[in-house]
Amino acid sequence: MQGKLPDGITLIQADNYETWLVDVKVIDPNPIYQNETYRLKFTFSGQYPIEPPEVTFVRDATHPIPYHPHIYSNGIICLDLLDRQGWSPVHNVESVCVSLQSMLTSNTKKERPEGDDNFVRYNTQRPRDINFMFHDDTV
Amino acid sequence: MSAPSPIPPPNDRRNSRASSSASLPLQTPDDVAAEPGELRMVGGPPNSPSPLALRVSNSPSSKRRRSRIVKVPPEFQALEYVSTPDSNLVCLICHAPFDKPVQLPCEHYFCHDCLEHAWAPQSAGRKTCPTCRLKIEIDRDVKPVPKIVESMLDELVVRCSNSKAGCDWVDHRVNVHDHVMLYCEYTPVECPVSDCRLHIAQKDYHKGCLHYTVSCEDCHASLMRKDLEEHQRGICANRLTSCTLCDAELLRLDLRAHVSNDCPRHVISCQGATIGCKYRQERSDVLLHETTCAMATMAPHFREQQARIERNEARMEPLARKVGILEDGLSNITSMLYPANSNDASFPVTDPLDPNDTEPTTDFSLPPASFPPVAQGTESPQAQPPFDSQVHHLLTLHDSLREEVSRITNAMTELEGRANMMVFNESTRAKEDMLRTNTAINSMRMQLHWLMSSHLHNRTNSAGSSSARTTGNTSATAGGSNVTQSASARPGPSGALQMPFRRLSDSTRQDTKL
Repeated sequence: MQGKLPDGITLIQADNYETWLVDVKVIDPNPIYQNETYRLKFTFSGQYPIEPPEVTFVRDATHPIPYHPHIYSNGIICLDLLDRQGWSPVHNVESVCVSLQSMLTSNTKKERPEGDDNFVRYNTQRPRDINFMFHDDTV
Repeated sequence: MSAPSPIPPPNDRRNSRASSSASLPLQTPDDVAAEPGELRMVGGPPNSPSPLALRVSNSPSSKRRRSRIVKVPPEFQALEYVSTPDSNLVCLICHAPFDKPVQLPCEHYFCHDCLEHAWAPQSAGRKTCPTCRLKIEIDRDVKPVPKIVESMLDELVVRCSNSKAGCDWVDHRVNVHDHVMLYCEYTPVECPVSDCRLHIAQKDYHKGCLHYTVSCEDCHASLMRKDLEEHQRGICANRLTSCTLCDAELLRLDLRAHVSNDCPRHVISCQGATIGCKYRQERSDVLLHETTCAMATMAPHFREQQARIERNEARMEPLARKVGILEDGLSNITSMLYPANSNDASFPVTDPLDPNDTEPTTDFSLPPASFPPVAQGTESPQAQPPFDSQVHHLLTLHDSLREEVSRITNAMTELEGRANMMVFNESTRAKEDMLRTNTAINSMRMQLHWLMSSHLHNRTNSAGSSSARTTGNTSATAGGSNVTQSASARPGPSGALQMPFRRLSDSTRQDTKL
């Protein structure tokens, strides 16, 4: 699946077909994401690639959660591509990473989504079970 | 096409999605039905059926598969391709070369099955192309791919799906189905024994059920009968084998050690390779070469020296660490002594006259007001840089501190003497005072005695005179009143004379108290 990865995307761990870790950097000089590396966690279901993988940002000592109006501070990403309706089996880890990279690149607002605090505090669902409303077509 | 090798396959249990259409009776049902009992006599253990066979015979589904040779057709997605297939021939969904490809109106190609899977979650009227999301009508829009694409796919070179079991067949993909289903001797088929559900390679079919445990006579490992031959030929560590290089006969166990240490045909490098000898030949030649090679003779010495260097480096490391710790301690001490100049500890310049720099002086000249000259004296040598080294500086500092301490000690003894003198003077003065007071008290006591005695004398005189007149009075109080009466009764004196007498009687009482 992986030949040569695009710039700014590094495969960290792909030992099995359940969980992969990928590091993503924003290459273009966007001041919000300068000098930071974000770690993405892919969790594949048995139905992949028919079903979308579960993709979240993970936080650790060296990898923060990027600021973006569609990324909650617990790492959950609101992106139609990762939802069942928006997913297409032709996507793969690389294309998802590139999409997220460009989503970050084009962002100009250093903020969290509306209601981030409440969502982060009260959400117990897995990302795939959350019904996102996809309202913003600019990203 | 198939190259049968005598190696039996390992137990290949594919998670079989057995398709009934793929069954292929090689023998007539009559033959198979007649065979099992006889085969068990041949292949099985002499007395009892194997425990495995017994266990299997109890399972309810064993009846279902009787005497049918069921083969699993190869899955194209799991096939191993000899060369990496052209990325244009790869399905974007399964990332394998197309299997039964179809074409959508947007000219995107997918495997037929992949597309079905991808469309399964989408509702009936809303199928879209997975790549470009073009709306698709299944009946109208899904078309077969051009012939040329199909033939390109057919000509991809693949290995047999049983290659892990030992088949080394390699050919065009279009033939793999026929090969596996008809010709391949390694295709797993169901065991001919009716109550055994395990699989066996087709070439071993005629041997009957080989699914019972035996133990290898050489290494005593227990394994299935069908794996025994391969085990003995390729795995068992206690069997004789021959070195592939030098034809020496030895146990497989020792083969690796033989090759790396002894085998005369094994290609090794000269011992001097570490220091530059390029000679690399079979071991026998290298041994000859090493007798003449200068580098090979030098190599042990080099190794020894290298080891010594490493030992010394390892020893140096803790020493360096210790030095670091000591330096840290030193700088700590320096910065403690010169808090203001802690960043320049080796060059302390403390001006005692500088009002901003009073802290160090207050540190070790307490109290500052009492020894101003002393504090200045100790500070002035320190204010004269530069010193040769930090150690030298510290030593001078230490000396000056010691001097100062002795000076302070002297001053303290002096002070103590002065204080003692003062206390002594004060106490003598107090003593003299006390003596004077004592003498005064004594004289007063003398006067009192005199007064008392005179008074008593008076009373006895008056009592002697009045006893003749009043005889019945015996009580002391009565006696007391008698005194006043007698005093007042005395002839001559007026009322003014009465008062001193009374006072006198009072003072007698006080005197007794004293």
